[in-house]
Amino acid sequence: MTDDAADFVVIGSGAGGATAALVLAEAGREVVVLEEGPEVRDEDRGQGSVASFMRLFRDRGTQVAMGRSVIPILQGRCLGGTTVVNGAIVWRLPESSYERAFGAAGARDAIPLAALEARMDRIERDLSVGPAPDRLLGGNGSRMRDGAAKLGWSGHAIRRNVLDCQGSGRCLEACPTRRKQSMEVTYLPRAAGLGARLMADHEVRTIETAAGRAVAVVGRRADGSPFRIAARRGVVVAASAVQSPCILSRSGLGPRGHVGRHFRVHPATAVAGVYRDPVRLWEGATQSYEIDEFRHEGFKMEVASLPVELAGVRLPGLGEAFQRAMADYPNMAVWGVQVLAEAEGAVSPARNRANIEYTPVRQDMERFRKGVRRLAEMHFAAGAVRVFPGVHGGPDVLTSPDELGVLDDLSLDPRDWSMMSAHLFSTCRMGADERAGVVGFDGAVHGVRGVWVVDASALPTNLGVNPQHTIMAMSMLLSERLAS
Amino acid sequence: MGLGEGAQRRIAVVLADVFGEPIEVAREVAAFLDGYLRQVPSRAALGLRVVVWAVTWLPLVFVGVPLPADALSPATRSRYLAAWSGSRVYLVREGFYLLKAIALMGWGANLAVRERLGVGPLAVRRP
Repeated sequence: MTDDAADFVVIGSGAGGATAALVLAEAGREVVVLEEGPEVRDEDRGQGSVASFMRLFRDRGTQVAMGRSVIPILQGRCLGGTTVVNGAIVWRLPESSYERAFGAAGARDAIPLAALEARMDRIERDLSVGPAPDRLLGGNGSRMRDGAAKLGWSGHAIRRNVLDCQGSGRCLEACPTRRKQSMEVTYLPRAAGLGARLMADHEVRTIETAAGRAVAVVGRRADGSPFRIAARRGVVVAASAVQSPCILSRSGLGPRGHVGRHFRVHPATAVAGVYRDPVRLWEGATQSYEIDEFRHEGFKMEVASLPVELAGVRLPGLGEAFQRAMADYPNMAVWGVQVLAEAEGAVSPARNRANIEYTPVRQDMERFRKGVRRLAEMHFAAGAVRVFPGVHGGPDVLTSPDELGVLDDLSLDPRDWSMMSAHLFSTCRMGADERAGVVGFDGAVHGVRGVWVVDASALPTNLGVNPQHTIMAMSMLLSERLAS
Repeated sequence: MGLGEGAQRRIAVVLADVFGEPIEVAREVAAFLDGYLRQVPSRAALGLRVVVWAVTWLPLVFVGVPLPADALSPATRSRYLAAWSGSRVYLVREGFYLLKAIALMGWGANLAVRERLGVGPLAVRRP
């Protein structure tokens, strides 16, 4: 078995891991970044949904949470992690979300909001963050903007980490022009320039300890060969809210009552509307506009320009009816609602994968019902002639705002809804001690020395806003302290 | 794990009715399903393969006709597929949804379909 060594071994190359790697490298530490997935080659970019799922997503896009219903859980699995395949949305952590997460966990002194904001300032400069300009709203975003304006709802162009975006509508396939400032084109090459070694196709299985301290990581390469890398100062875990608890669990690290527990998500669903004029989902930014009017009610709405091979699944009808519905695809706008869910699930390791258990609670489903009603209302306000709510047992299609009332009676059974999630949290959550969580407010795993967690799994709970920015800011802050 | 020649031929007839497409397009979608099954993790492949088998061979259960789905009359097959997609049983409905969702990726990747909808190429063209 090859034996290698570094000051810090960083597990995972997404938002948390790449940020930690850069900070540690800037501090002069010797860093190795281990990524389970492959490198992102130019020929992998913008190749369509299937090719993207097959090369860049965990379990080739087939990962699901099982509970009362089956919920797809989408995660990047490539150098750069989910930042490679997300919508480039950068949400500055609002005070209310900070209080919900860090404040409620008792972390106000250890992780002040001002400290996170200072890191967010740097990240926004580094990643060229700014609002999507009008030219990138596309037909999808401009209709949401118009609908919200007519209803008097608060909405805005999404702030994105892009540099001279070309509006190719392929954010979820790895940006074909490398304009998205995801980790594989920003922090990872910068860290490499400072001496960090990036090792794709290296899956960490366990963390080795000796005398209560982490000393190495052990795993296997994509070709099946084993590897071991010694960590002189420690191991930084940033493998996601699904994989980080699995690594700790396999290694026997962390409080058993919390590792893999408290799994939180922002589940999402979508509502399509058909308009008289072309919308052309394939033009403009994939996600360009959002509505935060109802964030205090527990849901947030954003455009989701799905390609034709994904958009059709939500439409009703077979045969000729399906053909009629899909003939409207060029005139279709697709908007999603993301719920700040209160349900907690669990993640545990299984052979070559993770078991994810999750079922939304009634309060979550009520938020979904309100969100779908609001989306349908906004579609009509924007000029839609047909709206497809996409909930089993409800109407297949609405043709008038006079029909919106029927949506108040939509089922609250999760099995009647088509949901998915890509925002995953809290399976190694922070807590003051091992009775409260897996890691302390410095990210260090309780009960062992030399292991820190700096990804979404360490967040005390879900945030109600897109998490990449908060993950990076938290990782930056904790890694700075670690480096010093 | 893939689809054999016979399984592809039979499910293509079903998919032609699901999507309202000519059999030539449906055969390409069935071939896509075969390739998909060979690439995804075994648990997901097994689930999808079971659904393909069930949709092909269970008309007797759903519409009382002891024939595979591809041998049903068009009207009976339409009734049969509607029974799957609108089933009150979650696992049945979700199984059909899974098949439709995966097959749609093949359908949406089809050149003729994309040209008809005017959505441009599936993949970015590189010089």
